[in-house]
Amino acid sequence: MKKSGAEILLETLHDAGVDAIFGYPGANTLPIHDGLRSGPIRHFLMRHEQAAAHAADGYARATGKVGVCLATSGPGATNLVTGIATAYMDSTPIIALTGQVTTNLLGSDAFQETDIIGITLPITKHSFLVRDVRDMRATIQEAFKLTTCSRPGPVLVDLPRNILAEACATDEERTYQAAPKINNGPGNRNDQLNNIARALNQSERPVIIIGGGVKLSNACREITDLIEKGHIPFVTTMMGVGSVHAANGYNLGFIGTHGFELSNRIVHQADFILAIGTRFSDRSTSIVEEFAPLATIAQIDIDPTSVGKNIKADLPLIGDIRKTLEKLIPLIEAPDRSGWLARIRKERETTDERNCNKGCGAPGRFISMVQEAMPAETTAVTDVGLNQIWTVRSWQPSIPRSLLTSGGMGTMGFSVPAAIGAKVGVPDRDVVAFSGDGGFFMNIQELATISYYQIPIKIVVFNNSHLGMIRQIQDLFYGNRLSSCELGNHADIVAIAKGFGLNADRVAVETPEEGISKMASSTGPYLLEVTVDPENYVYPIIPPGRSNLEMIFGRSD
Amino acid sequence: MVMAEEEHIISMLVNNKPGVLSRVSGVFGRLGYNIKSLCVAETMDSEVSRITLSSVANSHFTEKVTKQLRKLVDVIDVTELKPATSVEREMTLIGLRLHKEKRAEIMRAIDMFGCNVRYMSDTYCILECVGETEKTETIINYLKPLGIEEIARTGIIALPQKN
Ligand SMILES: Cc1ncc(C[n+]2csc(CCOP(=O)(O)OP(=O)(O)O)c2C)c(N)n1
Repeated sequence: MKKSGAEILLETLHDAGVDAIFGYPGANTLPIHDGLRSGPIRHFLMRHEQAAAHAADGYARATGKVGVCLATSGPGATNLVTGIATAYMDSTPIIALTGQVTTNLLGSDAFQETDIIGITLPITKHSFLVRDVRDMRATIQEAFKLTTCSRPGPVLVDLPRNILAEACATDEERTYQAAPKINNGPGNRNDQLNNIARALNQSERPVIIIGGGVKLSNACREITDLIEKGHIPFVTTMMGVGSVHAANGYNLGFIGTHGFELSNRIVHQADFILAIGTRFSDRSTSIVEEFAPLATIAQIDIDPTSVGKNIKADLPLIGDIRKTLEKLIPLIEAPDRSGWLARIRKERETTDERNCNKGCGAPGRFISMVQEAMPAETTAVTDVGLNQIWTVRSWQPSIPRSLLTSGGMGTMGFSVPAAIGAKVGVPDRDVVAFSGDGGFFMNIQELATISYYQIPIKIVVFNNSHLGMIRQIQDLFYGNRLSSCELGNHADIVAIAKGFGLNADRVAVETPEEGISKMASSTGPYLLEVTVDPENYVYPIIPPGRSNLEMIFGRSD
Repeated sequence: MVMAEEEHIISMLVNNKPGVLSRVSGVFGRLGYNIKSLCVAETMDSEVSRITLSSVANSHFTEKVTKQLRKLVDVIDVTELKPATSVEREMTLIGLRLHKEKRAEIMRAIDMFGCNVRYMSDTYCILECVGETEKTETIINYLKPLGIEEIARTGIIALPQKN
């Protein structure tokens, strides 16, 4: 029996465990949509391809499985670009399937032809153009391997329409021959591991920095064991938030530009840093030369390009985080760290006082109240801007993968479509998207998707009638010369949501009790608009070009 | 701090497939390194090509570039070749106008440098010279005032010395 390329594609996706695809059709993907009618895989018709990519990303972040999005050639494919880049920067495993013109037209500037592989070269781990139906199955299987192996990331598969339509018999299908890599080895891992263990055991003021890689490697239990066995205080990057239960006593918060005063100060005092699954992005380190000046730095990461890239690693180790931690934990002693912990406790008292409501003001309190009103394992998805910082500072994740945020790319418009993906991926867990008014308008069309499929997510829109974070930066660092940051209040967000068929309500951030409880007890999709004073900024903040110690707590005047 | 720059030669084995070269050159572009010379051709295995490439860059170059190149799915192997422990060659074709009054001098130079004459008419010739970059550049500099019209260089190819 012969099968078409589209049938082989869908069969291979199903075999790989795919249960949902987020997409948008066009002439060049119709063979796939034809096949989707009868198949076990659900297709969610989004209202924009960017949202399809974010939904696949949200699905992958929430489940740890591969997210799949599908777009047609030309404009459909280019609309995916922001979503693919967002996944790339945060190392999310997604597969982007794009339709392509028939192979005889490739390179002819045919209708809706675009070199999507060329366009996405710098934002994908790898990409394939399937030129022969006999290679379909092996290519898709290879794409799944690549997107998840080592450091995960997006893989794009470009699918010419004629290849999707052509048929071939099972015994004609070809296998994929990956060229063998010549391994130049990462050196002797055992020695490196012993050196790290010894340095950590001998250190007086150690700090662990947890990056997003810990979650990606499913090493949350192991990292918690390490922390507790060695009595080691830890900070996280923004992507590392939620790797360890937020209430863990050794948790100092996240570091960097928008991070906590306590975590930034303690990193500065540390004599040893064990950085795990982080590339030391500029958001985390601010000025590299002044980051952790007293510390010996050990770095564990699966990606050789991340080790020593931004900060020199004195003790590097390239390897899988979970496997490495499993070997490291038995080597760790539990020396008396009471002096260091007491010093941290004292710092915590003063910084807590200065940073009430975690420096977020009323929105911080509001987010905590939402979390209290919602079931324990609710997933929060943030947008970008002040709302992101409020949420990442205030939401206290108790399990991994329950706080999703666009860290590396900082993509406005991420929250709502990513929340759709998270809910589809983990249907029995509640999902709340937190957005600003600016970011909300960037993917507002997805309210139609939510309404059509009745996806029961909750959306909180903090309406400060401004691009709040831009306003804060202009206010503080551009002498309060506000420019292009006012959105105004001419659109009625509640009426818009209702127009899309959602239940919706509006509250003021100072008096939210009733609004929150109504939202928490609602069963279907729900939008809550929260009016916020545009001057409700986040403090402390690190001015551009300053070190992590040079936090400011208000206007300088 | 300004870091000293020197020439680096990278030799790699890659899959002989469409698009691979743009993935490889993209790494150099994104990291901000200029490719000085580039030579690509099949190896004994027709599915594998060797790329030999040179760049003038600071000391971070090799580590940064090789780490990123090794991550590319289509790259099989990457090594930096050092002049002291490898054999390096490049070939140059030199198109030369034969002015009457300089003809004798040109013929002497061809002889002296051991170039092969690959084409010759009354007024024009094409020379082939093979050697290390230094030798190539000496020849080019010598012949320039004698009437070079154009040149084509392969760029460096190299293999490591072995026991
Ligand atoms: C797609 C995109 N465009 C522009 C930016 C730059 N940017 C960062 S934060 C921000 C303001 C966000 O405003 P809003 O969504 O209202 O959230 P708020 O800061 O008020 O919470 C902007 C424009 C971005 N991060 N993403």
